[in-house]
Amino acid sequence: MSTGRDDFGIAIRSALLQKGAKQKFSLFFLISLSLIVFFLDNYPSKFMDRARSIFNDGIYRVSSVATSPINLISFLNSSFKKHVFTLNENKVLKEKLAELESQKFQNQFLLTENKNLKEIIETQTEKNYSTVISKIILDKDSPFLKSVIINKGSRSKIAKGMPVIESGYLVGRIVEVNYLSSRVLLLNDLNSRIPVVLEPSGTQAILTGRGKIKPSLLYLPDSYKTKDDSTVYTSGKDGILPSGIPVGNIFKEDNEFLVELFSNPSQLSFVNTILQNPKNMKEF
Amino acid sequence: MAVLINRGFKEKFLGLAPLLLLYFLSVTETDTKFTNHFEILSFELQLIIVYYWKLKNPSLLGNGHIFLAGLINDIITGLPMCTSAIVYLVVSLVASYIKNITVNTSLFSDWFTFIVALFFSQLVYITLISNFTEISFSYIDIFYTSFFTFLFYPFFWIVFNQYRTIVLGKRDE
Repeated sequence: MSTGRDDFGIAIRSALLQKGAKQKFSLFFLISLSLIVFFLDNYPSKFMDRARSIFNDGIYRVSSVATSPINLISFLNSSFKKHVFTLNENKVLKEKLAELESQKFQNQFLLTENKNLKEIIETQTEKNYSTVISKIILDKDSPFLKSVIINKGSRSKIAKGMPVIESGYLVGRIVEVNYLSSRVLLLNDLNSRIPVVLEPSGTQAILTGRGKIKPSLLYLPDSYKTKDDSTVYTSGKDGILPSGIPVGNIFKEDNEFLVELFSNPSQLSFVNTILQNPKNMKEF
Repeated sequence: MAVLINRGFKEKFLGLAPLLLLYFLSVTETDTKFTNHFEILSFELQLIIVYYWKLKNPSLLGNGHIFLAGLINDIITGLPMCTSAIVYLVVSLVASYIKNITVNTSLFSDWFTFIVALFFSQLVYITLISNFTEISFSYIDIFYTSFFTFLFYPFFWIVFNQYRTIVLGKRDE
């Protein structure tokens, strides 16, 4: 019995400490080093924040360059497909154009009516924020974190918590800022929580990521019933995100209210970060 | 002489393939997560690479490189630094232990012992993430990832074995 225990001890000690087979570092040394770095990284300190920021900027750039040939192949592939399907697309677009032309006059009337009504209720129509356009340099799926890296950081006045939009639709918010790059936590990430309002009913809810492509809505009233034309907008209740940014359409699946996002999180190329007063970000 | 040098260079270059593949998966956007297309299909090819090559040819996959690949992977995926490095090193530790206590290995013995490596690596991963970070995660997703990693091991075992015997022309170290 004791011989077996001795064998186990010898084998595990040998596995941990040996530096044979052209190994420069023992596993024991590297596991200890990893644990030290892990704990240092998890406890906020100026030194680690700066070190991580430098590491991040460097590795994101290297990764972006290393990924570019793969991106070029997928770009050529999608360009080829686009070219092949242009004829069909053209036909469909012509039909849509005819439909839109007929709706144009109706919309013009509604726009004028809306403007007049807003003037009556003295609503502020101008958006009071500016944006910074940035390119997605990395979009690597992690098992648990759904995030992308953009090529703008604190140098472009980006701060933690700022909302990120694509074509006017909410995509996520900034969770990590380096000097030249930032990380955007997407709406479908497990850690994402956004206060939203459902229109036209005006119902308040929290948009929660599930790690899958479609996030869900939490804290809806028990009596809530979805309608086909229900749209989700940011409510701005948290005092961080501006209100009224369109997010997606609501639908019901297996007794759960899910949101079909207007902006597909896996198809992002360029995004806009809404710049806000960094003082507001401190609460975040 | 030139032929000998050429052969040595070729052998050395081909021997770098597992290491290059490990770095490629860590540095680039390429990964083995297909959850956007197939609801639950996701596996960790890095764990299979580390386990197989540490078991068969440890000299081709240095511990320092495993640590560095894990560190880069963490920075790119946004996990706390060294989380993946620890996971890869735990897999490497189990592989070294198994190598120390066994003489002849087969696909089934490797596959069976890979469960132990997966179990300990995921246990360490869950312990670190749930106790020392504020990242939310789903146990079921971890289970599916581990399950598919285990399921695909024989396929990659055969592929790597073919590469080792045909391209490298080597036996176990």
